[in-house]
Amino acid sequence: MIKLADVSITLGDFSLKNVHLEIRKGEFFTILGPTGTGKTVILELIAGLYRPDAGKVLINGADSENIPPEKREIGFVYQDYALFPHLNVYKNIAFGPRLRKMPPSAIKENVQGLADMLEITHLLARFPGTLSGGEQQRVSLARALIMKPKILLMDEPLSALDPNTKRMLCGELKRVHEKYRCTVVHVTHDFNEAAMLADRIGVILKGKVKQVGVPREVFERPRDQEVKNFLGVEPLKAVYAR
Amino acid sequence: MKKLWWKDKFNIFMAAIAYLTLLFIIAAIGTVIMKGFPHIGKSLATPEIQFAVKLSLYTSLISTVLCIVIAIPVAFVLARVDIPFKSLFNTLLDLPLALPPVVSGVCLLLFFGTTAFGAWLEEIGLPFVFTIKGIIIAQIFVNLPFMIRVMKSTILSVSPRLEFIARTLGCTPTQAFWKITLPLSRNGIIAGTVITWARALGEFGAALMLAGATRFRTETLPISLFLNMSTGDLEEAMAAANLLIIISIISLYIFNKLGGDFIGGTRGV
Ligand SMILES: Nc1ncnc2c1ncn2[C@@H]1O[C@H](COP(=O)(O)OP(=O)(O)OP(=O)(O)O)[C@@H](O)[C@H]1O
Ligand SMILES: [Mg+2]
Repeated sequence: MIKLADVSITLGDFSLKNVHLEIRKGEFFTILGPTGTGKTVILELIAGLYRPDAGKVLINGADSENIPPEKREIGFVYQDYALFPHLNVYKNIAFGPRLRKMPPSAIKENVQGLADMLEITHLLARFPGTLSGGEQQRVSLARALIMKPKILLMDEPLSALDPNTKRMLCGELKRVHEKYRCTVVHVTHDFNEAAMLADRIGVILKGKVKQVGVPREVFERPRDQEVKNFLGVEPLKAVYAR
Repeated sequence: MKKLWWKDKFNIFMAAIAYLTLLFIIAAIGTVIMKGFPHIGKSLATPEIQFAVKLSLYTSLISTVLCIVIAIPVAFVLARVDIPFKSLFNTLLDLPLALPPVVSGVCLLLFFGTTAFGAWLEEIGLPFVFTIKGIIIAQIFVNLPFMIRVMKSTILSVSPRLEFIARTLGCTPTQAFWKITLPLSRNGIIAGTVITWARALGEFGAALMLAGATRFRTETLPISLFLNMSTGDLEEAMAAANLLIIISIISLYIFNKLGGDFIGGTRGV
């Protein structure tokens, strides 16, 4: 479904080298890695912000080189949520459908439905600057989901939240994935989050894909010492709880 | 700052300089206001001042609008697009800001008055030498770099990430610009417009060189001030000066209100 074939890119001092990743249709794929390893850059490559210096980004088997971001049917939930500060919550969520000239009544219905599902109905008239991190996260998710994207990219969606909210939203993300059946590429540096959510995990260290596999496999059999050091020694409860 | 500053000799000394500076500014401006304000109503009724006010408003409005229309795309390129020779571009664009306006005026005069291009413009009905159009061009030349600076730092303050998110939600680059970049630049645009407009109203040196100082022809408020001072008509001169002071104070106030201070690169202008 999404394939990064030997992708390399240099941005300033940072470079990704020969990244090879295959993400299957409909799966929940988690990119796990420490800070500054290029996880966000990988999502941005898939979304079309950057063009790789070498290699190809294939979406559904087609080279995406000449497909602009607006044609990729991608939803992007950024690390800092990136809500439009000049629009209220309703208009943030309705931004995409309005562009598509969907009839206002249909837009309203869709926004309402998503707002109900994500429990943000009472926030619709508020502006992003007045929302808490968890609330912004839901709005950002709603804004992406309303487009019914084929691919949902989520950049550390839970990192700014307290442990309880985190657990709750974790369950919510799972349900969203089951309901929408879109391919999810999820980025995190949190082992528990990866263990709880992922169908498969890709471990990225220093701009390189080190290991790809189902959570149990990755946590139980790190491929080499480097991955082992990153993951630590303690086997994860969350893996066994699933 | 809860500390009692007057308990410290060094601070008293520094504060004295600050107060003297303030006093000097207030005294100088105050004198003109005291001399001119009582007569301002009467002077406003004279045809000459009325002409000057109208011409000033007309030229400054047009030049300000043109400045915005040109500055926004140029600023966008400088802020967002990787073009070759960008740093050279930046330096050259700032040049009119550093030049004394009189020198800018001479440059414009020679360009429009002595080149084939200037002659061609005149032929197609766009004469700039000693005309009202010349005043407008002079104002644009002097103020455009300023507006570009304000707009550039404003656009730089808009996160490119927001524009990109808009793209993933279906915007073309043009739509992202109109729906995200521009609305989020609103304060900068207003602040830049106000200050550009005020500067256009006060523009003297470059306009004097290119458009000349002819009564009832190219007589804007500052030119009127200059003409009336040189012929000793103090009342009209003071009226023009007072109008310019009022306009400047109001625009400074609006500019600061809109966070002009926060917009990088415009500090102290
Ligand atoms: N446009 C850019 N220009 C220059 N350097 C960049 C650019 N984008 C990212 N980088 C650099 O690339 C490196 C990797 O960035 P990236 O944001 O992908 O890390 P990350 O894995 O998402 O980290 P984090 O977990 O902290 O979000 C960083 O050092 C970053 O500064
Ligand atoms: Mg990141």
